[in-house]
Amino acid sequence: MSARSAPARVLIVGGGGTGGALAHDLALRGVRVTLVERGELTSGTTGRHHGLLHSGGRYAVNDQESAIECIEENRILRTIAPGSFEENDGLFVAVTDEDMEYLPAFLEGCAATGIPAQQLTPEETLRLEPNLNPELKAAVRVPDATMDAMRMPLRFFATAKKNGAEILNYVDVTGLIVQQGTVTGAAVRDLVTGREARIDADIVVNATGPWSEQVAQMAGVDVPIQPSPGVMLAVRGRLCNMVMNRLHKSGDGDIIVPQRALSVVGTSSWKVEDPDDLSVPEDHVRRMIEEGSKLIPAVRQATFRAAWSAARPLIGTKEEADSGRELSRTFKTIDHAVEDAIEGFVTITGGKGTTLRGMAEVCADVVCTKLGIEEACRTRETVLLPHDAAFTGRAVA
Amino acid sequence: MSVRRGADPGTEGIRSARDDVGPIPRKNVGPVAWFDIRKRGLGQFAFSLNRLTGLGLVFYLYLHLAVLSTLFRGQEAWDDFLGIATTKAFLLLDVLLVFGLLAHGLNGLRLALIGSGRGIDHQKALYRSCQVIGTILLLGAALHILGGD
Amino acid sequence: MSAETQTTRRIRVFRYKRGDDEHRYDEFDVPVSERSTALDALRWIQLRQDPTLALRHSCFHASCGTCGVRVNGREGLGCVTALSDVSGDTVTIEPLANLPVLNDVVSDVTPFMERFPEPHPYIRKSEFISEADTPDDVDAYGRFEDCIECGICLSACPVAATDDTYFGPAALAYAQRMLEEARGADREALLDWADSEHGAWRCHASFECTEACPSDVRPAQRIMLLRKELGNRKKEVSS
Repeated sequence: MSARSAPARVLIVGGGGTGGALAHDLALRGVRVTLVERGELTSGTTGRHHGLLHSGGRYAVNDQESAIECIEENRILRTIAPGSFEENDGLFVAVTDEDMEYLPAFLEGCAATGIPAQQLTPEETLRLEPNLNPELKAAVRVPDATMDAMRMPLRFFATAKKNGAEILNYVDVTGLIVQQGTVTGAAVRDLVTGREARIDADIVVNATGPWSEQVAQMAGVDVPIQPSPGVMLAVRGRLCNMVMNRLHKSGDGDIIVPQRALSVVGTSSWKVEDPDDLSVPEDHVRRMIEEGSKLIPAVRQATFRAAWSAARPLIGTKEEADSGRELSRTFKTIDHAVEDAIEGFVTITGGKGTTLRGMAEVCADVVCTKLGIEEACRTRETVLLPHDAAFTGRAVA
Repeated sequence: MSVRRGADPGTEGIRSARDDVGPIPRKNVGPVAWFDIRKRGLGQFAFSLNRLTGLGLVFYLYLHLAVLSTLFRGQEAWDDFLGIATTKAFLLLDVLLVFGLLAHGLNGLRLALIGSGRGIDHQKALYRSCQVIGTILLLGAALHILGGD
Repeated sequence: MSAETQTTRRIRVFRYKRGDDEHRYDEFDVPVSERSTALDALRWIQLRQDPTLALRHSCFHASCGTCGVRVNGREGLGCVTALSDVSGDTVTIEPLANLPVLNDVVSDVTPFMERFPEPHPYIRKSEFISEADTPDDVDAYGRFEDCIECGICLSACPVAATDDTYFGPAALAYAQRMLEEARGADREALLDWADSEHGAWRCHASFECTEACPSDVRPAQRIMLLRKELGNRKKEVSS
C-alpha cells in the first residue's frame, strides 16, 4: 500500500535522539509523522550525555550484542553525519596491574565484535596524549569519537522536517486516547500558547526514554524500564583530544570526553522512580574527580564548570538489577498489540546515544508492517542536513 | 490493524495559535538603550559616553553657528554675546565642551585603532589610558579657561 | 538538585504565552543549596509548582547553548549561573533580549540562527595540547568550534537592541573563523557578505558580546579582525 492516497499518520511522543531518528526514517518511507516533545529537542537524556560516539569497546567483553550494535552504528553515523564528529579516536588505558589482567579479554572481545583495536606502548601513548597518567601500563586505541550530544541528533530532526515531518517542541502529552482497545491519539497541552488540543494518529510511538513507563501507563500498559541516572562532571580545560577510557570492567568515573574547552568525566549509576527528580550526590562528584584523575592527573586541580545527572533508560525490571549497571545497554521495540492486546501503540526504548539510527530502523520496520507499508529503510545512506536547519526550516503541514 | 487514512492529526490549531508572536524583550526600548550602562562593562560605558558626547557636540555645533550668526547683526549684537561669553557660568560650559571633545576625540582614536584590528585584546587598557590622558588635559584646560585671561 | 537544602531564594520568573496581551512575573520561594544554579531553580518550579512553565535546556554543562537567560539583568547560561553568585533578595529570570519570546523564559532562536552565513562547518583543528603527536593516519586532532550558538552575545549587544537588521556578533565572528580556517569556504563570498552596513561596519565596539560570551569566542575582537581584512581588501583593489 503506497503513500499516494492520504498517508498513514504516526505520532511520536518524545523528542530525543530516538524520536528524531524515527521521525527521519518514517518520513523517508512516506509516512505522515508528527512528533511532540514537552521541552526543547534532546532535553531529556539525549542532550545530557558526554558526547561519546561509542566504538563499542566498553561492551566488548560483557555485552557483545551492544558492542556489535555500537561499532556498526559508529561507522554509519560518520557517513550520514559528516562534520558532526571529532574523529580523534579513543584510548582504553590500563593504569593498574588489575587493569592489565583485563587486557587480553578486552582485545579478544574487540576482535570477536569487529572493533578495530591497536595496542600501544606507554611511550607511544604518552606521545599521543601527554596529559595521561605517566604510570600507565598499556593502552588500546579504538575508533571512539566525540559528538555534540544535541547537535548531532538535531540533524535527524532537520532532515525529517525537510521531508515533511511535523516537529512540535513544547507540546506536552497529558494523556493517551484509548478507544476499544486501540490507542487513537493523544491529549496534549501546547506550552507555547497554554492551550489544550487532541492529536489523532494511526499509531502512537512512545520514544520517551526513561519516561517510557510513565507514558505507557497512560495507555494502561507496563514497560520494563528502570531509569538509572549517573552523574557527570565538567571541568575547565581540554585535557585530552582523544576519548579516554579506563581499561577495566564498567565502573564509576571511567571515561573522560573532551567537549570543546572542557573535559567531561563520567559516570556513576543508581536507580530512581522518577526521572524528573534527579539529585547530584556530592560523593558521586568526588568519585568522578578521584577516578578521573587516575586517568588524567590534571583533573584533580581543574576548575569546576558543572555537575549534573542524566537518567539512562535501562531495559529490565526493578528486580533484575542492583545498581542498574549490570543491565544490558541494548534496545527493544515493543508492539503492545502483541504484548498487551492494545492496538495502535508501540514503545521503543533502551539503547544508547550512538545507536539512535539503528533503533529507529527496527522500530520503523515494526510500525510500517503494522500500517501495511512496504518501504525499505533508507537511513543508512541518506546524508543528513546540518543541525541549524532544524531551527530555520519550517514545519510543513 | 485498520488504518484510518485521511484523518487530520489536529495540529493545525496548535500551529496557527503559535503564529501570534508577541513583543521582543529589550533591556529598554529605543535610544534609551544606548545609555543604559547598568551591569555592563567598560566597553559599554565608552560606547554610551561616545553617543552622549556625540549628541552634545552636534548640539554645540548648531549653537556655535547660531552664535556666529550674530555677527550678521553687527558689532553691538556681537558685543552683547561677548558679555555673556566671559561670565563664569559660560566658561564652565566651555570646560564641559572641552570634556566632550576630549572624551569623544580620544575614544575616537581608540576606536580607530581597534577598528583596524590593532590592540583588540587591550580595549579596556586603551580606554583607561584615554581616561587618564583626558583627565590630565581637561585639568590643564580647566585651569587655563577658568584661572586667568 | 542536592538533598542538602540550605536556604530559600525568591525567584521572579517572566511569564508569557503567545496570544497573551502582556507578560507578567510570577514569584516562587525555591529551596536552594550551595551548588544550585538558576536552571536548577527553574526546574524545581516546573516540577513542583507550575508544570506550565516552559524551559529550554539540554546538556547542563555549557556546551549546547540552549539555556541562555537573563538573571537580574545579566545574560548567561542558566546551567552554570550559580545562585550563590547572584546577589539580592529576589532573583529575576527573564528571556534573552533582542529575540522574540517563544514562551515564558524561552526565546525563539530561529531569527538568531538565520543570521549565520551558510554553510558554516562546525569542526576545526584543535589548538589544544600542541606538544602531542597524532596517530599516523590522522593529520591533526579536530575539535568543535567554541561558539555554542546561545544567542547571549546578541542579547548583550547595544546595536542589536535598536536594530534587528544587524547580523550580530555570533554570525560575524563565524565568518571571521572561516577566514582563519577556510574548510572549503569561499573567502571572497564571506567577505562580501560581511562588507555590509548591517554587517561588520554596524558594530560600535562596546565589547559587550565578548564580556557576556560563556564560551570564549571573543566575537568583538573577531569583528575588528574582519574589518582589518575588509580594509586590506579595499587597499588591494584601489592600488
